[in-house]
Amino acid sequence: MTPRDAAALPTDRTWQKASQLVRSSYKEGDLILFAPDWIDPVGRMNFGDLISLDMAARMDTARYGRIWEVSIRGAHAPETEGLIPAMVRELDDITVRFFDRPPAVVVTDIREHLAAAKVEGPARPTLELAEVGFAPHRCVQVVPPAKSSVRITFPQLALGGRLVGYVGLADVFTRRSPRGPGTLRVEINGREVAAATAGVNDGWVRFEAPTTPGPADVTFVASADDPQRLICFAAEARQ
Amino acid sequence: MKLATWGWPPDKQRVIGWALALLTVFVVTTNEQDIGIARDEVVYMGAGTHYAQWWLGLVTFEHGISKQSITQGFGGADPTANNREHPPLMKTAMGFSHHLLYKTLGITDELTAYRMPSALLAGLLVLLVYSMTLAIWGFAEAILAAICALLLPRALFHAGLACFDAPIMTLWFATVYAYWRCLDDRKWPWQVGVVFGLALATKHNAVLLPFALGIHYIVIAWRAGRWRGLLYHKPRVLLSLALLGPLTLFVLWPWLWFDTFTHVRQWLTFHTSHVHYNFEYLGENWNAPRFPWHVALVTTLFTVPVATIAAACTGASVWIVRWRRGESADHERGPALLLGLSFAASIGPFFLGTTPIFGAEKHWMPALPTLCIAAGVGAVWAARRAGEALYAHRPGFSEEVAQRIALGVVGGALVLAGTTECVSAEPYGLTWYNALAGGAPGGADLGMNRQFWGVSARGVLPFIAKQPPGPVYSHDASPAWGWYQRLGYLPKGYPDAGHELEGIERSQLAIVIHEKHFNRHDYLIWKSYGTVRPVFVLKSGSVPIVSVYKRPP
Repeated sequence: MTPRDAAALPTDRTWQKASQLVRSSYKEGDLILFAPDWIDPVGRMNFGDLISLDMAARMDTARYGRIWEVSIRGAHAPETEGLIPAMVRELDDITVRFFDRPPAVVVTDIREHLAAAKVEGPARPTLELAEVGFAPHRCVQVVPPAKSSVRITFPQLALGGRLVGYVGLADVFTRRSPRGPGTLRVEINGREVAAATAGVNDGWVRFEAPTTPGPADVTFVASADDPQRLICFAAEARQ
Repeated sequence: MKLATWGWPPDKQRVIGWALALLTVFVVTTNEQDIGIARDEVVYMGAGTHYAQWWLGLVTFEHGISKQSITQGFGGADPTANNREHPPLMKTAMGFSHHLLYKTLGITDELTAYRMPSALLAGLLVLLVYSMTLAIWGFAEAILAAICALLLPRALFHAGLACFDAPIMTLWFATVYAYWRCLDDRKWPWQVGVVFGLALATKHNAVLLPFALGIHYIVIAWRAGRWRGLLYHKPRVLLSLALLGPLTLFVLWPWLWFDTFTHVRQWLTFHTSHVHYNFEYLGENWNAPRFPWHVALVTTLFTVPVATIAAACTGASVWIVRWRRGESADHERGPALLLGLSFAASIGPFFLGTTPIFGAEKHWMPALPTLCIAAGVGAVWAARRAGEALYAHRPGFSEEVAQRIALGVVGGALVLAGTTECVSAEPYGLTWYNALAGGAPGGADLGMNRQFWGVSARGVLPFIAKQPPGPVYSHDASPAWGWYQRLGYLPKGYPDAGHELEGIERSQLAIVIHEKHFNRHDYLIWKSYGTVRPVFVLKSGSVPIVSVYKRPP
């Protein structure tokens, strides 16, 4: 909950000042977040050239070490919760906070290996930029027919110490009806290591499994009882 | 107490009501000039022209009354053919208004002509609120109640549209008022039945009215004569409602002139099984029941000026205390109870958790006249107490002067608060929230619905007009796009590119009207344009309402 001070509203000039401040120390690959989320369009208008599609449609923020948070009305992005800012600047009605932390080391991103994946089942996965939980996510999307499943195997995927992923149902209009969930099971060399179920109101559901570093066959099994479940998932093997 | 009339004779008091009604029509008509075209308006305006042409054709003997001609004019096989899912009164009035004001007299533009009937009914509402309050509670109460009815930002917004939501508020209240009037000893209370029929012919909300009127009738009839009263109190009022109401609806709606029961059933079934559109409430997107029980309560608290709510709470308390003391005004006809039941019948279904909430306050706007009358009563009660205190502490003032000062301050504060809220709300009234919510940004913080119907797209037309010509992905404003071009709000050379991804792929410019469930349209555009950066963001109270993207070279 943010304070509801009607007067605490930045002008275009303040946005320009914030933009200048961020740009003065910005480095390629820095993540820029806006808070509260409803200022996102204004934020993107002022900083959009620094935000790539992949960054905007990220799986999560773990791979970003340098994070800028541009906020108004005392709000904070949920992704910065628990982080200690290295810099805080108040610019009239905008607060700019900068965070510098060790990023997660990504060994493999499954989205980059979809072309090599082996698919078993009645539907083909595609790489999409989809709406899941009203947020953008670049993900592997598959729509299994009702009461069936699709197995997507990434052969000999390089793994680190853990596999982190997310799953959700894409597209608000197909989520409206029917209302059943979609399920994703993760197998490594044929053994189930994680599973997650995403309902119509669950958004982007996290799953994680410890892994043994080295190559392994990683299989994602997407299933649903209802038709039109746009099961959308992403996963990264991290050190 | 002279305060009650300020020494104005009754005929001059009535003039005030008419003056406030005219002022309301002027304010609504002026305000709507800046309001964009709602998606539904396009349908209603088209249907209205169709209906009016049918009636004109009938009276000029171009065609007769046949199943075929009525079906072509008012119905069809599809459940939404010729907009047959909504009764015809307002649409027909819009069609005739367009024919008269625009085509024949040429004194307004097309859009204003279509919207004029709703504006006139907004004026009528203010007059009726004034008249009922004046008759029961007094002159000062009537003025303040009427002004409160004028200064409701959301209602003012809706009154400017060629839709049914403000009109049903008027005709609902007109039915309540006519019912109360007909509870006198007149022999033929036909008026209440006819007005109820007009309400039925305006919007389906009217089918809830019998709950309010029926319960009220039982209470006052029981009071009047116990069991015997239930049978003999004012049975002709009930007969009028039961017979003339449906008959009036029947006469006004040719679609009911054949297969009557089937068509009535189809009309009501359409609404009892209506699809649940996406709607944001307290940060969540709702598109399926069960909805939170408190949607109507919280939304009303956030969309009526706070001063009006405070005064209404005071007024309701005054009514309850007076009732408990046996001092209720017009005890026999129980007007405060009637207004309370009207409020409950209008808003009550939205506490069930299954009634569609996607239009928010517009669905239960008939509750608002009760609130405004209570506000008038409450404000004057508070002013009287303040006047007494002023007189007690400043004996230099006469009692009358003290009372007038108090009324000026209390009433002035009420009017000023409502005016301020209205000025800050328009023309993007659906994005506005009151001071309790923290204005538009407070509403956004709370995750209240940003807008609907694509109305705000009009605000980005001047920006688009400055861009190199090319197809525009017009998103939720697609139905209105042709209108904007026809009315000259947008130069030629900016055609609608089409729907969804196909339209986006064809476009050079793209807009997104911000609602939570429309985020996906941003992402479709990002994918096609290869950028997340809009070139323009329209804001209301600093809250983004429309983004414009330009395809990078």
